Amino acid sequence: MTEAKPQKPTLRQRLANGAAAMLSTRLDKGVGRVRQLALILGLAYLALAGKLVHLGLSHDPPPTLKAAADQAAAGSRPDLLDRNGAILATDVKTMSVFAEPRNIIDKDEAVELITAVLPDVDAHELRDRMNSKKGFIWIKRQITSKEQNEIYHLGLPGIGFWPENKRIYPNGPLGAHVLGFVDKDNIGIAGMEKYLDKQGLTDPHVPGFALDPAALTPVRLSLDLKATHALRDELVQGLDKYKAKAAAGAIIDVNTGEIIALESLPDYDPNDPPDMTKPENKAKINRVNVGTYEMGSTFKALTISMALDSGKVTLGSHIDARDSLRSGRFTIHDFHATHRVLTVPEVFTHSSNIGTARMALMVGVPGHQAFLRKMGQLDRLETELPENAKPQIPKHWGELNTMTIAFGQGLNVAPLQALMGVAALVNGGHLMKPTFLVRDEAAAMAVSEQVVSPQTSESMRYLMRSNATHGSAGFANVEGYYVGGKTGTAQKIVGRRYSNDKVFTTFMAMTPADKPKFLYLVMYDQPEAAPGDYGYHTAAYNAGRVTGALIRRVEPLEGHAPLLNPPAHPFPLIARLGYGADADKVGKE
Amino acid sequence: MWRVLHLVAIAALIGSAAYVYRIKYQTILESEEIVKLKHQINRTRDEIGVLHAEYEHLARPDRIQELADKLIGMQPLALNQIARPDEIPDKNVQADELGRKLESLGLGLSASPANGAAGASPSVR
Repeated sequence: MTEAKPQKPTLRQRLANGAAAMLSTRLDKGVGRVRQLALILGLAYLALAGKLVHLGLSHDPPPTLKAAADQAAAGSRPDLLDRNGAILATDVKTMSVFAEPRNIIDKDEAVELITAVLPDVDAHELRDRMNSKKGFIWIKRQITSKEQNEIYHLGLPGIGFWPENKRIYPNGPLGAHVLGFVDKDNIGIAGMEKYLDKQGLTDPHVPGFALDPAALTPVRLSLDLKATHALRDELVQGLDKYKAKAAAGAIIDVNTGEIIALESLPDYDPNDPPDMTKPENKAKINRVNVGTYEMGSTFKALTISMALDSGKVTLGSHIDARDSLRSGRFTIHDFHATHRVLTVPEVFTHSSNIGTARMALMVGVPGHQAFLRKMGQLDRLETELPENAKPQIPKHWGELNTMTIAFGQGLNVAPLQALMGVAALVNGGHLMKPTFLVRDEAAAMAVSEQVVSPQTSESMRYLMRSNATHGSAGFANVEGYYVGGKTGTAQKIVGRRYSNDKVFTTFMAMTPADKPKFLYLVMYDQPEAAPGDYGYHTAAYNAGRVTGALIRRVEPLEGHAPLLNPPAHPFPLIARLGYGADADKVGKE
Repeated sequence: MWRVLHLVAIAALIGSAAYVYRIKYQTILESEEIVKLKHQINRTRDEIGVLHAEYEHLARPDRIQELADKLIGMQPLALNQIARPDEIPDKNVQADELGRKLESLGLGLSASPANGAAGASPSVR
């Protein structure tokens, strides 16, 4: 190997030696060189082999069009389920056909062949788009598999298919106003669909926000599909029978604030959503959320509970309803005039305008305003649904306004708002925002606010129960469910006057009155008297009857068995004060 | 000696190269299989989704209601069709005294309920 040297050579010498060694061949050094060379080559081969193994193991398929197409144009959305897990909205994969005009050889021929298969595609418009400078155009979104097959067999170059998600609502118009709808790109336009997008629960295919479609967890709504169907079915029947212009209804769980069902008629099929900007579709708004109405006598429940809660009135107080109430140029009459001094329960069951107006005056204008604000009646109610409306409050709120608002005239609120208020009156005084997502009682209580005392709440339940047995809510007094209710008939404003024959009727009923679970709301816009009703078109005859039929259907669906006997001690708090031992006899007291 | 070693080395080289190629092609085959299966899973998942939607469409309440009205002919439950457990009479207690007397004399009829008492009739609405 290397020679032993007496002294270390300088760098220059070593370089010179090395160069000389390379140029000359010295036999005595041959074996060492060969070994060195073998070693180097061996290492190189090892490195190559290692790289080969590495390449072989990390086989990554190159991204193909198919893989790219899996990330389809229309983003995926999570399923919407009802509270029992039934599908309300789901994504289905469909094919869309597209063209790459640069790769098409004969554009005219292509247009001709394609429009023969897809007759609803406009040939002129397609030709114009083909001749534009775009590299990619849609020919038709969401075609059927038969159409796809036919186009495929045309064998045109530059024409391709792209899998997309299409939103399907298997139940058609059921719950349409809550679900909302999506556009062609699967972007939520209205209802809970829009809410999902706002919450970032969908995969809109925005760069950097790609989500695995399989990772989208279904969203459970508070709606009950069967109850929603029952509600819609009964509303539709009533709409026919009473020849009303529109109808709406809702069922709320008063203990959790969950909306169990919500319908507004006329409605639409979200599979084929209407263009809401067109005037002929204006009637299809969600009347429960977006419409604002004078709620009529159902507002009396708020007034009386305010008077009771303030302590200025008790259930035993007497209210003078002998004469009409005058205020300036206006006179307030009773629709069912009694011309006598009424007890508080009688004011409620006879639906006395004079009585409730007097009670509101006892509390005064500021107190009335403060109470209604506390009950959420004067501010915009915002739920998960993007659609909502601001209540219309009188600009100058004087004594006369307080008197009319006391019996539900002069203040327009969204029906959902009124429903929330009445739910708080009967559930023990807990005001909670309605929700369209599932929520349990503890979570609801955590966001609720005590607005009236439990005793006032119990008094209201007692009054509504007595109204079912002896008042205007008799049509909804379904045997076995201990129903309590209140009618409301508001005269519609025609021109600048309240009309006598055009009315807006509402009905609210709760079951069971001793410990309410559900609060029902049914409304009809401009109902007419049905044959055999002696010309009556007030709330009891239309909304009340429909609510009765609805309770009969929905309660068994929700697993509530009818009671064979009324509860023994339905109203313990006020019974201790000497009232309401038997609500069923209140009218005779 | 050297020759044998060379032959062994060459054989080992060819063998290992063949082995590497075999593994490589197997890997490609397997990964193609994986891609295929993934597509199949996606397709099946989509099909399941379609079937779910189809099922919900067929089981939608208005269709079920129509079918039930046409084919089953049931009525809504009425309050008088419900009895509490304690309202159901005991199996062996004969309610009428005469019957008990007849039974003690050995002339008893079998304890079948009287005609007409068997089913509750639904109330008419």
